[in-house]
Amino acid sequence: MRVRTSNSIHNAATKYRYLMLFTLPALIFYVVFAVYPLFATFVISLFQTTNGDGSFIGLDNYVYLFTDPTQSGHFWHALLNNLEFFAIHLIVQLPIGLLLAALITSDAVRRLTGFYRTILFIPATLSVVIVGFIWRMIISPLWGIIGFPLLGTEATALPTLSLMSIWQWIGIPMIFLYTALIAIPKDILEAARVDGASGMRTFWAIKFPLIRPQFGLITILTFIWTMNGFDLIYSLMGGAPGPNYSTDILGTFFFRTFFGFNNVVGDTDYGAAVATVIFLFILISTAGYFFVLQRRLKPHEL
Amino acid sequence: MKSRIAPVAITVAAVMMALAGCSGGSGDSGGGSDQVTLQFESWRPEDAAIWNSKIIPVFEKDNPGIKVQFAPTKATEYDAALKTRLQGGTAGDLITCRSGALNRENIEAGFIEPLKGFTGLSNFDDLSLSYWASTNGDPYCVPVASVMAAFFYNKDIFTELNLSVPKTNAEYMSVLQAIKSNGKYVPLAFGATPGDAWVLAYMGLYSEGPNYWHGEEGRQGLIDGSKKFTDPEFVQALAALKSWTPFMPDGRASVTYSDATQLFALGKAAIFPSGSWDISAVTGSTGLDVGVFAPPLPKAGDQLYVQSHPDMGIGINAASQHKKEAQVFLNWVASPAFQTIYANALPGFFGMGKEPAKLDNPLAQAWADLKVGAELTPRVEDILSGGNPDFETTIENSLQLMMTTDKSPEAVADETQKGLENWYKPQMK
Repeated sequence: MRVRTSNSIHNAATKYRYLMLFTLPALIFYVVFAVYPLFATFVISLFQTTNGDGSFIGLDNYVYLFTDPTQSGHFWHALLNNLEFFAIHLIVQLPIGLLLAALITSDAVRRLTGFYRTILFIPATLSVVIVGFIWRMIISPLWGIIGFPLLGTEATALPTLSLMSIWQWIGIPMIFLYTALIAIPKDILEAARVDGASGMRTFWAIKFPLIRPQFGLITILTFIWTMNGFDLIYSLMGGAPGPNYSTDILGTFFFRTFFGFNNVVGDTDYGAAVATVIFLFILISTAGYFFVLQRRLKPHEL
Repeated sequence: MKSRIAPVAITVAAVMMALAGCSGGSGDSGGGSDQVTLQFESWRPEDAAIWNSKIIPVFEKDNPGIKVQFAPTKATEYDAALKTRLQGGTAGDLITCRSGALNRENIEAGFIEPLKGFTGLSNFDDLSLSYWASTNGDPYCVPVASVMAAFFYNKDIFTELNLSVPKTNAEYMSVLQAIKSNGKYVPLAFGATPGDAWVLAYMGLYSEGPNYWHGEEGRQGLIDGSKKFTDPEFVQALAALKSWTPFMPDGRASVTYSDATQLFALGKAAIFPSGSWDISAVTGSTGLDVGVFAPPLPKAGDQLYVQSHPDMGIGINAASQHKKEAQVFLNWVASPAFQTIYANALPGFFGMGKEPAKLDNPLAQAWADLKVGAELTPRVEDILSGGNPDFETTIENSLQLMMTTDKSPEAVADETQKGLENWYKPQMK
């Protein structure tokens, strides 16, 4: 196809100009509200403010974060808790999401597919405060059905919060896997049925390998979302969460340093340093993941 | 046909949207030259209705030309939000001041107007004024309310089980045991969930503890370094608190402050260790007959110490445009007339003036009567709070573990003392 030139709406320059104009509003929003604050946060973290006057101190905030025993103790503890939160989240939600997606696409719920799809996704649309408060009431020893104090015991608090979070967000991996499952061409499945494969064999031998790349995507998205997680834990457990900081994750650690807690006044510069460190951690982990693993998970050509 | 307007229109729209997003206008106290509106910052949105219907109209009637706008922020967000507003220059004219270290930060930063020579201050004694003073001792906020901590009890349950109000720790323990043996009611409406660990400190340790560490004697000793938290009197106070655990509700590690309040308000629990601010929560619509008793004495004949914590003061924003009118309001706040209105509109918040206000609410009066013959002391953490690690957070964390696991009172004392020694200079020797 020859590219027509000059005085034509298909001119490359015109196309480019229209492209820029139509993306400009979104681009401005993105730069102003997402990119600029990231850089501004890093700049803030290089200062120290006493009584309203800021003074440039370079990377001292970062040195303080990693060398002070109390602060670095809290940070690494929060990081480990967050990784535990992520691990439980991932390991439990993948089988359940897969099961739900498989059930919805199977012949078992032929007529009510839409209905089940909707109600399984509804918790993801609920406010996290509602989810947290209602679940806390359900598992409360006083008003609920469980006598053991799950949220108040060090060993069970974080897994319980993980499970609440999974309950809320199960719709997301379910939808990912569901769309991958319905994208499988019907003739392959028919051929399998003609060859005499049972339902289970069809699933594990044909469907599962074809949707495997989705697991990588779900994993990395879950990682980013749980590392950024904050609202459920903060609304249920407060600013210094958990029995003995056992539910303290990176988000709540940052909140505590930036906005303060109890009688400790928030330190915005030091908090900005914490935020930058968290951002860099997520960035490096995600980039590493994409370089190492995602390249290997190629979607099959159908 | 190529449109020339479309690209221009899109660009203009984009720029307008960007500008709209960037514009921020803070509403300032408007009004014409003869009508001044003062913005009043507070952390009690719960009291908004009472301020607007019972308190502010009285002031506005006597002072035509000055209007007061009560603009509260949620308590947990107040400190951070106020600091942001003070730094950005958008804070209100009147500021409700926390007592202690938080407020001192704002004073040192120059956000609050000094009240030197303010005539209304003669209505308050030096101790009350000191809670809202700078490190030099200059007053910055007018004391408005103090709150107390003690023990609510359900009079009907006590009558039913033939119990009398305990005075000593031994009597208190036997009362709790009697209620538990009866089995119908929960003896103590008191939870130990980590999110509400402050309850264990404010209404637990800092309420029954002063009887053991002799109030101001112990607190000042900690502040100037002559006493350590590992001294026997503090450990005894911790042990006394731990002895409450068999009488707390089942699954106490998940019982929150609101759960405990509910338990008591529904008539399912006999005793509710709390503060005077809960008077409205446990009476009124609950229909309960509620009394209050002071923290139990270690042994009969000891001096009684009761926690009376200076909670609220009101000061003027140093950057306010209406300082003269704000001073008129503060003058009125410092007067006994305001104190009477306030104490009766908001039972449980006691004025700190030299003339005690007359209280209509009988339960509030019962609380005020607790002060008779008692030595008053505020919560321990004032000067000790803040720091790395924060004293309050450390002790609350340790108390929560002490009340739900087998952590010992000695271990709690050790941890708290170590935390203090990490940053608090008088304790570092």
